[in-house]
Amino acid sequence: MPLIECENLVKQFDGKPVLRGIDLVLNEGQVKVIMGPSGCGKSTLLRCLNLLDPPTSGRILFRGEDITRPGVDVRRLRQSIGFVFQHFALYRHLTVQENVTLGLRKIRKMGSRMAREKAVCELERVGMYEHRDKYPAQLSGGQKQRAAIVRALAMDPAVLFLDEPTSSLDPEMSREVVSVINKLFLDNVTMFCVTHDAFLAKYISDSVVFLDGGAVLAEDVAERLFYDHPDPRIRQFFLGVIDMR
Amino acid sequence: MSFWDILAVLAAGAGITLLLSVACMAAALAVGLAVALLSRSRWAPVQRLLVGFTFVFRGIPVLVLLFLVFFGLPGLGLRVPPFLSLVLTLGLVSGAYLAEIFRGAMNAVNREEVLAAEAAGMTRAQGFTYILLPQMFRFSIPGMINEFTAILKYTPFAYTVGIPEIMKRAMSLTPVILRGLEVYLAVGIVYYLIYKACVVIFSALEKRFRIPGLSAQER
Amino acid sequence: MNVLIHDLIAYAPQILAGLENTLLLAAIVSLTGFCGGIVVFSLTLSRSRLCRSITEGYISFFIGTPLLVHLFLMYYGLPELGLRISPLAAAAVGFTLNISAYNARHLMTAYRGLDRMELEAARAAGFTEPETFRLIVLPQALRLAVPALTNQATQNLKDTSVAFLIQYKEFFSQVQEVAATNFEFFRAYLFTGLVYLALVALIVVAARRLERRIALPGFSA
Ligand SMILES: Nc1ncnc2c1ncn2[C@@H]1O[C@H](COP(=O)(O)OP(=O)(O)OP(=O)(O)O)[C@@H](O)[C@H]1O
Ligand SMILES: [Mg+2]
Repeated sequence: MPLIECENLVKQFDGKPVLRGIDLVLNEGQVKVIMGPSGCGKSTLLRCLNLLDPPTSGRILFRGEDITRPGVDVRRLRQSIGFVFQHFALYRHLTVQENVTLGLRKIRKMGSRMAREKAVCELERVGMYEHRDKYPAQLSGGQKQRAAIVRALAMDPAVLFLDEPTSSLDPEMSREVVSVINKLFLDNVTMFCVTHDAFLAKYISDSVVFLDGGAVLAEDVAERLFYDHPDPRIRQFFLGVIDMR
Repeated sequence: MSFWDILAVLAAGAGITLLLSVACMAAALAVGLAVALLSRSRWAPVQRLLVGFTFVFRGIPVLVLLFLVFFGLPGLGLRVPPFLSLVLTLGLVSGAYLAEIFRGAMNAVNREEVLAAEAAGMTRAQGFTYILLPQMFRFSIPGMINEFTAILKYTPFAYTVGIPEIMKRAMSLTPVILRGLEVYLAVGIVYYLIYKACVVIFSALEKRFRIPGLSAQER
Repeated sequence: MNVLIHDLIAYAPQILAGLENTLLLAAIVSLTGFCGGIVVFSLTLSRSRLCRSITEGYISFFIGTPLLVHLFLMYYGLPELGLRISPLAAAAVGFTLNISAYNARHLMTAYRGLDRMELEAARAAGFTEPETFRLIVLPQALRLAVPALTNQATQNLKDTSVAFLIQYKEFFSQVQEVAATNFEFFRAYLFTGLVYLALVALIVVAARRLERRIALPGFSA
């Protein structure tokens, strides 16, 4: 069953087109990875889908409901979409546990005890329980990103958006995060993941969307896209990406 | 009259000095916050107004503004009581300085964290209250300590409008005992003790609520 | 308004003399305070612990007490020691002691922001302590402290208005004397404020120029 569909999604910044008519479907339980050259509009796509940036035109359906028409409850939509940022965006003045509980208490209106219990449960899931009382500045990069993932997951979102979750991490820490995301993949968490990391793409995706110049150039399972694709642009891109590892 | 007696007379005025300081700090905090928040508005007229506000109240000498309020406004039919005059004056002047401090601190807050809060479903007001404001305050602490102690050091101007605080008591003491050196040395000591106490208390509070990676030095 | 303008013209010599006194005092104490600040700053780097603690005590006391106290100490206190001095001299001494302490602190803050390695390198290269201070530490600390020091200069100008409380015939006091003849206090104070704002604007513009002139690539506060 489709969770998110977008039809002919266009986004312009001051008349400059960044997304030029994207059609995409994300089914429940599916994991899609979005890849493409820098500046091709990957982050913009994610931000449009949860309305952090309003789309210029086109339709986005969330569970069949058009969320681009006026009067849509944007905050309810965003609660159903967990967002993980490249640079973690952990709240620096709160401990790991408080980072998780803040949303539960203030957005989901949970009592503080219930929020704490839920946070503890989620933190255990990714091995962050022992770090729960640390502040972001006291964590390694991998731990920060795991905390950020927990923060998003704790809200019980219908889908998780990840924008380059490993690209500000060194390989060791990146592995730590990939294994967490892989676990989510095995748990059938629905995900949309932007990445430059071919390794991550291969191990967590049902399919890979290749974006170039604000348009979908191809969509396929990782293997078929990565090796010997007929389109020279795609071949060129993945030669670069995969050689780098 | 021994030096101790002088100190005792002055210390009796310390309560009023402290009361004045606290009232001025509260006013300055309110003005500073309001200006800093308004300056987030992208509306050009508001921006220009605030630039003007900051320039005027950072540029005018405190004593001149105090006289303008206390001795000048009655000429326009507006009588402002002494205490309120000083609170108004220092509230505006220190408020203008605090606004700059708050503005700088707000810029030091990572925008992505506020965005993350909104991406999770918080309203703008919630993102502001739970993410931006607490961090801004932490970054502002050194500047706030500076400004608060500056207020304390401006309070002796209160004697010019007849408030019986430390300086006023000292001035009424000098002609009686004719020992200005001792009296004003004693005044200095009393102020210094209050100053030190303030700094110690503020620093202790700062340390108590310090968060790794978020103190102003690490910013 | 007409009354004020009329009086301003009538009393122009007195008011201008007051303005002159204000500028004179501000210039003197900004200069002596600047030099004093450097001297005090150098003393905080002294080898002798006693010297350092005395210097730090001095800075702490003058930053921790009101300017008005320093002025009163000089004006009412010094004569008791047999030193009869004019209001200008009393103000100059009081201000200098006050400003030197603040400037020294600005320089100390800048010094803490300096690159330690560079100082080590200078010592390793065989410079003596005074040479290191004069050739490396001071120029760099001064450059980093320029915004704080120019802020202090505007502060000094504004603070000279306090000198009227020790009978120095500066601008503010002279305008008040004129106002006392016609009871136009509000306008007189407004006029005073505007003149101060204009002077402050001049200093700010000059400070910006200075900052741009001495800016070095890759070296900013
Ligand atoms: N708020 C904005 N205003 C104007 N232009 C923007 C804005 N956000 C993004 N852009 C432009 O849109 C284009 C796509 O940006 P986007 O961040 O989506 O790229 P990306 O694919 O995520 O790149 P990267 O891999 O470097 O993260 C870029 O050219 C960028 O300059
Ligand atoms: Mg991006």
